[in-house]
Amino acid sequence: MVDAARQPLIQVKAFTEVEKVEGFVGNFKVTLREKAKYVRADRCNGCAACAKVCPVEVPNAFEMNLAPRKAAYIPMSQSVPLIYNIDMDACIHCYKCVEACGALEAIDFSMEDKLVEEEIGAIIVATGFSHFDPSVMSEYGFGRFPNVITAMEMERINNSAGPTHGALIRPSDGKTPKNLAFINCVGSRDKRYISSCSNFCCMYSIKNAILAKQMHPDTEITVYYIDIRTPSKGYEEFYDRAREMGIRFVQGRPAMITENPDTHNLTVHGEDAMLGQVIAREYDMVMLNQAAIPQPDQNHMSSVLNVAQSPGGWFMEYHPKLRPIDSPTDGIFFAGACQGPKDIPASVAQGSAAAARASRILHSPQWQIEPTVAVVWPEKCLSAQGKACGMCERACPYGAVDYKQGVAPTIITAKCHGCGGCVGECPTDTITQLHYTDAQILSQIRTLLATEPEKKILALRCHWCSYGGADLAGTSHFEYSANERGIKVMCSARMDSDFIYEAYRLGAGAVLFSGCHQQDCHYITGQLVGAKRAARLQGMFERMGMSPGRFRVEWISAAEGDKYARVINEMQASLDELGPEKLHDEIERMRPEMAKRITKLPNIPHVQQAFNRADNFQTIMLHEVKAK
Amino acid sequence: MTEKSIEITSQEPINEKDLRIGVYVCHCGSNIAGVIPPGEVVEFAGKLPGVAHAAETMYACADSGQRLIKDDIKKYGLNRVVVSACSVRMHEPTFRACVAEAGLNPFLMEMANIREQCTWAHGHDREGALEKAKDLTASAISKVSFLQPLDMIKVPVSKKALVIGGGVAGINAALDLAEQNIPVVLVEKEATIGGVMAQLNKTFPTMDCSI
Ligand SMILES: Cc1cc2nc3c(=O)[nH]c(=O)nc-3n(C[C@H](O)[C@H](O)[C@H](O)COP(=O)(O)OP(=O)(O)OC[C@H]3O[C@@H](n4cnc5c(N)ncnc54)[C@H](O)[C@@H]3O)c2cc1C
Ligand code: SF4
Ligand code: SF4
Ligand code: SF4
Repeated sequence: MVDAARQPLIQVKAFTEVEKVEGFVGNFKVTLREKAKYVRADRCNGCAACAKVCPVEVPNAFEMNLAPRKAAYIPMSQSVPLIYNIDMDACIHCYKCVEACGALEAIDFSMEDKLVEEEIGAIIVATGFSHFDPSVMSEYGFGRFPNVITAMEMERINNSAGPTHGALIRPSDGKTPKNLAFINCVGSRDKRYISSCSNFCCMYSIKNAILAKQMHPDTEITVYYIDIRTPSKGYEEFYDRAREMGIRFVQGRPAMITENPDTHNLTVHGEDAMLGQVIAREYDMVMLNQAAIPQPDQNHMSSVLNVAQSPGGWFMEYHPKLRPIDSPTDGIFFAGACQGPKDIPASVAQGSAAAARASRILHSPQWQIEPTVAVVWPEKCLSAQGKACGMCERACPYGAVDYKQGVAPTIITAKCHGCGGCVGECPTDTITQLHYTDAQILSQIRTLLATEPEKKILALRCHWCSYGGADLAGTSHFEYSANERGIKVMCSARMDSDFIYEAYRLGAGAVLFSGCHQQDCHYITGQLVGAKRAARLQGMFERMGMSPGRFRVEWISAAEGDKYARVINEMQASLDELGPEKLHDEIERMRPEMAKRITKLPNIPHVQQAFNRADNFQTIMLHEVKAK
Repeated sequence: MTEKSIEITSQEPINEKDLRIGVYVCHCGSNIAGVIPPGEVVEFAGKLPGVAHAAETMYACADSGQRLIKDDIKKYGLNRVVVSACSVRMHEPTFRACVAEAGLNPFLMEMANIREQCTWAHGHDREGALEKAKDLTASAISKVSFLQPLDMIKVPVSKKALVIGGGVAGINAALDLAEQNIPVVLVEKEATIGGVMAQLNKTFPTMDCSI
């Protein structure tokens, strides 16, 4: 901590939040909100004169509210930076602090939040984790029984810098407990709350048991556990040491804690799974090892940073095995428990790893980004023909379309992130996207539907989310119908209505239109552009009498492999239910209308060539099928 | 950063008769080959127009697999490459770099995902999986015919890092960067950095003090 404060190249900004992140790798523009501390950092010398005279006391959250602090305060004596704050919610405006500070004149009640902008090349997100509130589990009586405490409270109680100066005492009467119980997995590995494992609680449970035993060797200590997990180096030995010290380990998650109202002693009821016995044992104090949970503002941060969340709410890495430090956004990296619960050695290692990943970028004078941007064929633009349009400009989340009435738009390449929204929206196909041109995508559609189209489910998926969801379905071996045929574009905004008309004209059994959930969209509002178009298409197909299930619009994140498999299987079930004859009739009935809607496709550059080529493919592919 | 558009629109797709596509169908050990016979996909791909050479490979991403692709690019004069293997999220960078080493523009390589999105998801339907693998490979071949060589866009870099969160992970990341002479802004929402670790007593497994 102190090293960070001393390092001249590190600017520590406490009491500061990230308000906005714009831009892209190498070129992020970040807006920070420096909250008013009412003490001037350039003048405060950390002498504590203000806190001494402040008459107001409030619970100190740093001490898990076990000790008070003043309204003029720092959370702990070793705070970094060592600058006092005035807690305006608690302050009674007596101004004693101002007087005490005297000639330093560090206290300034006129301070206001300040917004500052920073030009940033790479971002490391290390926002950590939070703690499950065990009071929602009424069976353990936390909040009702004074001697039921949390692990975080224990960390402060047995801490020499803590509220009791390291004396292990119980809250109800300040006596040293003779008989202590620790309960593991409180909220974790529990289908009602957090189904996953919190990673480090077994170990800190053993740690606190050892510390208590060292302090008071005659204290009886029992740890209740489901499994003890000690997979890292030296951890099993640590567990051995605890057992050798006489700490008891009982397998079985306790069902209930009751309290004797006179003594405030507690009885833990449960089952000793090893012995197969129902047990009820009395203790002076019980510590609950609460689950690690995502930060309360994790959803908010996920949308500020535009990074997705895994099931459970943690930030989601690009690839769980191969790119565990990278976010899916180039230039943003994760470190520590914000990506999933991890202990200190793992958090430190990830911090170094994230620094190494970020420094690749920060040491380069230039960074390369994909050239999958939008480009314009000006001749066909409505605006250039004197008509009012501007659909492209309205679709763009980045203001990258430079639109003026009367001329064709230009794309500001450096601003274009390549969502393809303007491309999908343009009514005259004036714009295309490199690497995802109409010719390229239409040739894929034609090839995928070359044989037995009515059997097939054409799935349009976005690169970031639903393609990842489909990957995860496979990685998890969730089986789904092999009639699915996928096409990837960058964003649902690129999923042109023409692609879907063409698919149905060719006789596709079903079409899936699938992208990110709105809050996960990689292109700010790209998904909205796609979603609007999809809703329009859905309404139209309904009015045309298309059977339900033949056109599905689904938002599937990269973490929702199960959903991807389920949606495809449901679509297959709809086709099966409809049956081949009815499906055939429906396809034939709609075909003329679909054909009418795409008569202009061959006018798009290279599309006629793509069609001719696809016809050649089809001849061969049909021949192959017949040969069977 | 210059605010201009790139002039790439006029590029015509390669003439059909000049196409020389190489197709590589990966076994991925038994990950793919355990469900479908890659050889059948190769045989099918070889019949499609524009395909100059189609081959199977045990592990396309391994050194040997990449060498095969690079050697073939020269040997058969390939100007487009299709790799039917795993997810683009897994190995697109690998195969882009691979073809680039053999002198091909990296954007002239296209992958068909016949592992995550085929054999791994359709183990119950081997015939269906084989049909799908062929279709996905054909689809990639048809797309690759219309791909254009592209250059990466170069952007400048602001040499400054932002670390959000001053717990042990963030502090460590900030120190590592600063020691490499990179300026860091370390943002902490609370009044002090340190995170949960600063609140802890001694820490396992070595029992040293936490601050
Ligand atoms: C009771 C208990 C005992 C433990 N004992 C041990 C032990 O003995 N040994 C061990 O190895 N591990 C132990 N751990 C685990 C250890 O606490 C974690 O490994 C470690 O704290 C993770 O570090 P971190 O930096 O990722 O996150 P954190 O420590 O949570 O730090 C995150 C920081 O980011 C800040 N922040 C959050 N959101 C924002 C935002 N939006 N903007 C700006 N700043 C933000 C937070 O205020 C905080 O300062 C214990 C955990 C608990 C609960
Ligand atoms: S809408 Fe998307 S593709 Fe079009 S210019 Fe804007 S960012 Fe680029
Ligand atoms: S949407 Fe298309 S037609 Fe309309 S202004 Fe933009 S480029 Fe021109
Ligand atoms: S390229 Fe992909 S599919 Fe082939 S061996 Fe490597 S990992 Fe497996």
